[in-house]
Amino acid sequence: MESEDEDAGEEEGSDDGEVDEFPEIDTRSDSEEEEEEEVVAGSDEEEEEETDAEDEEDEEETDAESSSEEELRIFPKAKTIISKITGQPKRIYPEIEPDYDSDSSTEDTSNRVGNIPMHWYDDLPHVGYDINGKKVLRPARGDELDKFLETVDDPNSWTTAFDKKAQMDKPLTAEELDIIRRLQENENPDAAYDPYEPTVEWFTGKGKEEVMPLSAAPEPKRRWVPSKWEKQKVMKIVRAIRQGRIVPNKPKTASTKPQFYPIWNEGPSNQPAPLPAPKPRLPTHAESYNPPEEYVPTEEERKEWEATDKEDRERDFLPQKYSSLRHVPAYNHFIQERFSRQLDLYMAPRIQRKKLQIDPNSLIPKLPSPSSLKPFPTYKSLHVTHDKGRPRIVSVSTDGIWAASGDDSGVVNLWEVTVGKVVKSWKFDSKIGSVEWSPRIDVSFLVVGIEDHLHFLVPPFLAPNVLVATTSLLAPATLPPQPATPSPIKWKSSSSDTLDKPILTLTLPPSSGLPKQISWHRKGDYFATVSSTEGQSGVWIHQISRRHSQAPFKKIKGTVQLVLFHPTKPNFFVATQRYVRMYNLAEQKLLKTFQPGIRWISSMDIHPLGDHLIVGGYDRKLCWFDLEMSDKPYKVLRYHTRAIRSLHFHPTYPLFASSSDDGSIQIFHARVYNDLMTDPLIVPLKILRGHRVKDGLGVLAVRWVPRQPWLLSAGADGDVALWCS
Amino acid sequence: MGRLKQKGKAGAAKAYVTRTSAIKKLQCSLADFRRLCILKGIFPREPRHRKRANKGSSAPTSFYYAKDIAYLAHEPVLQKLREHKAFAKKLSRALGRGEWSSAKSLEDNKPVYRLDHIIKERYPTFVDAVRDIDDALCMIFLFASLPSSAKLSSDLVDNCARLAAEWQLYVIHTQALRKVFLSIKGVYYQAEICDQTVTWLVPYQFTQSIPSDVDVRVMLTFLELYQTLLGFVFFKLYTDAGLVYPPPLDDKKDESGAGVGAFVLQEAKRTTVSLPSTTVKTVENGGKRVSSKDVRQTIKTITAGSETNDVDMVDASQPNEAPSADAADEDFVLHPSASNPQEAASLPTFQSLSSLPHADSSRLLSPYTFWLSRETSRPIFEFLIRSFGGRIGWPATSGSGSPFDETDESITHVIIDRPVIERSEEKEEELERKRRRKYVQPQWVVDCINAGKILLEEPYVQGKILPPHLSPFEDRAGAYDPTAPLHTEDVGMDEEDADAEASEPESSEDEDGDGKAPEKAALAAAAAAEDVAALRAAELEAEAAGVDFGTFEKEARKARKKVKASEDAPTTEEDMNKMMMSNRQRKLYERMKYGERKRTAEKDRLQDRKRSIEKQHKKSSKAKA
Repeated sequence: MESEDEDAGEEEGSDDGEVDEFPEIDTRSDSEEEEEEEVVAGSDEEEEEETDAEDEEDEEETDAESSSEEELRIFPKAKTIISKITGQPKRIYPEIEPDYDSDSSTEDTSNRVGNIPMHWYDDLPHVGYDINGKKVLRPARGDELDKFLETVDDPNSWTTAFDKKAQMDKPLTAEELDIIRRLQENENPDAAYDPYEPTVEWFTGKGKEEVMPLSAAPEPKRRWVPSKWEKQKVMKIVRAIRQGRIVPNKPKTASTKPQFYPIWNEGPSNQPAPLPAPKPRLPTHAESYNPPEEYVPTEEERKEWEATDKEDRERDFLPQKYSSLRHVPAYNHFIQERFSRQLDLYMAPRIQRKKLQIDPNSLIPKLPSPSSLKPFPTYKSLHVTHDKGRPRIVSVSTDGIWAASGDDSGVVNLWEVTVGKVVKSWKFDSKIGSVEWSPRIDVSFLVVGIEDHLHFLVPPFLAPNVLVATTSLLAPATLPPQPATPSPIKWKSSSSDTLDKPILTLTLPPSSGLPKQISWHRKGDYFATVSSTEGQSGVWIHQISRRHSQAPFKKIKGTVQLVLFHPTKPNFFVATQRYVRMYNLAEQKLLKTFQPGIRWISSMDIHPLGDHLIVGGYDRKLCWFDLEMSDKPYKVLRYHTRAIRSLHFHPTYPLFASSSDDGSIQIFHARVYNDLMTDPLIVPLKILRGHRVKDGLGVLAVRWVPRQPWLLSAGADGDVALWCS
Repeated sequence: MGRLKQKGKAGAAKAYVTRTSAIKKLQCSLADFRRLCILKGIFPREPRHRKRANKGSSAPTSFYYAKDIAYLAHEPVLQKLREHKAFAKKLSRALGRGEWSSAKSLEDNKPVYRLDHIIKERYPTFVDAVRDIDDALCMIFLFASLPSSAKLSSDLVDNCARLAAEWQLYVIHTQALRKVFLSIKGVYYQAEICDQTVTWLVPYQFTQSIPSDVDVRVMLTFLELYQTLLGFVFFKLYTDAGLVYPPPLDDKKDESGAGVGAFVLQEAKRTTVSLPSTTVKTVENGGKRVSSKDVRQTIKTITAGSETNDVDMVDASQPNEAPSADAADEDFVLHPSASNPQEAASLPTFQSLSSLPHADSSRLLSPYTFWLSRETSRPIFEFLIRSFGGRIGWPATSGSGSPFDETDESITHVIIDRPVIERSEEKEEELERKRRRKYVQPQWVVDCINAGKILLEEPYVQGKILPPHLSPFEDRAGAYDPTAPLHTEDVGMDEEDADAEASEPESSEDEDGDGKAPEKAALAAAAAAEDVAALRAAELEAEAAGVDFGTFEKEARKARKKVKASEDAPTTEEDMNKMMMSNRQRKLYERMKYGERKRTAEKDRLQDRKRSIEKQHKKSSKAKA
């Protein structure tokens, strides 16, 4: 644009001014140059009429000089004339035409509202004001049809646009069309813009250096005097290089070989040495290249070795025999073995283990010999056979003369211990749950528990005074007064003279089930029964003198398996499936809960001195508790191969026996010391075998004969045996 | 109220860390962690309760001591590994950009770690280090025999070979070798250094290749450590023996395949009090803590001058000059009689008593000169014979450096491992030579060394079937001993037993009917006899009754066997006492019994096998006859 303008200006200016002939141009000041020009130009005014061609030629001649000049020229050239008035030369510029270089000014737009939103005039009849403040009225516009017809008539109508200010269509100028075209073609809308124009070096290059300093401060000395300290430093390095202390380009690390020096000369550190890795196993004869012939594997062994997995092999090689050393081949697992050793060294956990160099037999505890602990039962002397059902329970009278055994078919046999002949037999209509002799000496009777009933039986051949005492106890002429709280259990005596019928019958509450166990108190007045149903009615304590029964527990946790009276104290043991609880009956409170760790307790007995309790379970364990000590067992024994069925302490001898479903009876010596410091001595004495296992059941009950080291056992094979010493 | 205990803040949960968390803590890769563990000798631990250590999870992981990991965090090698990681990045970038000069300077300044401090840390004393060089030696000998490849630089293999040769040289020099065993895996050597037995395994000379299922990186890391360890150990050993370390290598000899002979042992220029022979002695006797006795001993040996050891002579056919050459100087013999070494040995000194187990066998082969036939392995036998004082030569095909050639007159034994070939056209000279020399198979040397004495050459002569080669390491009490003769009576008896047992029922019935009552009674008495006296009485009785001794003996043995059997049957009493054992004791007892049973079963199996083999031999020899 600029150049165009200039050209235009030049054309204008060239009417009255001749282009100078002087090529000398000082770029320092344009004005001076122009003055000189003026001087020259003023000399030949007549040559105004020269052609453009000439003009151009001249310009070409002075091309080098004027190129920059032309660029800079903004205004039209001035003419210098001699003023007629003053006689001095004066410069005259050409008159500026007002419409020059302004498109809008030449047009006859009379609307002078300026650049405002034209919709302000939408409702008004005029569209603005002209220069004189007169309203410019809205020109009339035809309807759409007229507009269309106009567009049809006018071939330039597609290059027109609606001018809001003039309220009419105006044709677009060529420049505008050019801009539109450029915009459509994604070009720069400015046609004059040259993206690749050469750089103009305004401030750099020759002759354009900055001459004046920015600061007026005097230049410091260090700018031109070399530093002393730097020199010293450099000299130090130079000296070091000369002396060979600094080796240029010395490869620092790559070629350094490991240097060895006496590393162990200075004392060891205080830290203990880490444990050495275990050494690999040393080779045995089997690894020899020429082993004795017995080491060479047979064909089967070789096959077996090859068939087993690598990890399961006992040794990692097969013994081989070579006739001479030259035949020995390379061992093809050598590297693998080394590698696995290394894996062991850094990936396997190590544990320091003390190697036991002891005879394994020394681990077996040294116990007194059983022969020194005699007497104890060793052999089966006689047996009584129950034909119909398996005997579940056996009981011995206090004097040790009579034994009663009850079986599943409802038969209770009474027999003499030493003879083994059944003297009397009672038949009941349900299976016998329990049979127990009264522990009293002045009276003699036995209690039989069957379904929902407890029957009191008087054995035959009693001394008259004992018989009288027994009858008066069980069927007294005058009944004791009824207790205040009536019990659901009925006591009913029958006065018949025959011994076939029970002299006294207790009717338990209906559907209370089979009394599994009858447990007498030491004095023989109380006895407890456990029925096989759950809940409250399970445990009953009966008092014979008062003919009264009561349930000691309103509610009890778990299924009661067994109950037991303490021999000396008013304590009462209740065994549920897993725990044994000890209650004080006088104070009515729980004293202790023992945890035998048995899944299902099957049997329990207390030592006659009352300090030790043994508990047996169906999971083959036998636990020995010291009542004074912990609630955990003092000793747990597991020696039976099947469930323990029955346990019994001998009332006088230091013996106890356990019977199991494996058909064996184990006799132990169990000595308990009075001082608290000595642990009880338990010595296994004898395993009695003789009962057959039938239907998975072995020996169901064991009972000691009082005053004798004899044992009675009831086996599932139908025999009730007596074991004598 | 005490402070609340938080879970996972104390005990096993704190003492152990899993491998993953260890790596996270150290901020290194798994490979770097493994390398560190190998170098530092850190291995996983087995916590007593895995679940507690793993904060309730029972997932299978390996655990490390938290303290071990904490120590690792300060390890300079870890720092170097990190630097190396950065270096690798820089180098790859430089290479990728093609900046060769900066790559070269980077490569020159590559971070390299030293393992000296780790050696000192892991082996605070020299004895610790010597005790642990077994694996190192095995690896060095293995890698010395491997071919170099892209994975395995030749420098490494060379260095391993050098270390192996240095070790062999040292063992030869100090004559510390004790036992050798030719196994199918390789040759086991056992030496005694600083009172530590060092056992190493050398593969037979075959080209091995590293199998694909072996992680070479792990092996190389181990090798890195072992090279450093052995360097320091050898330095100490050599300097203690008054030698220069490293021993100078004669390149020319090495190139011509001289092997160990290419190295020259150089005495360090120091005070000459420590003669080589004395060093030998101190090394041997180093077992006892250095007591005043030892000191006196040493003084005595020094004053005695050079010292040579006696050779245990069992073979009468040995040349006579041998014992005279080896006069027993160390014994207090006023008139050292050369001809009668037994007399000299009858005055035991402390030294002779203390070194009884390996009675002076370190110079066992010194009177002999050996020639190696070309099919025998030179490295093995050169090492063996030289470390027991013998001289050895070999043909040029086995490498250079043989001190003498085949025609040398001093050769006493030829080690040969090929079948005998009859050659008709032999020169008189050769025949003469053959007559003078003994041609033995290689096993003879090894068996002599293990026996600690010169064995008869007869069973080992060329072409003969060799006696079995037994391991010198098997000394577990009660193990099967293949050398022990089977009880011949046992062998015989078994057959007879079988016969007798088969015919027993009817014979007993017969005899019952017959009138041989007194004999029967006598035999019954023999059976019942429990102790020696009773047995003797029974024997007399039987003799009186007219029973011949053979029958009696048989009966007695049978009876004894029965008694034994009944003893073997578990006595009920002990069985019952077992139920009073605690659970832990019972388990221990069962384990021990299990092991015992297994061992006896193995022993019995071998014995049975031997018996049957012998029987077969007998039968075949009978058939031949």
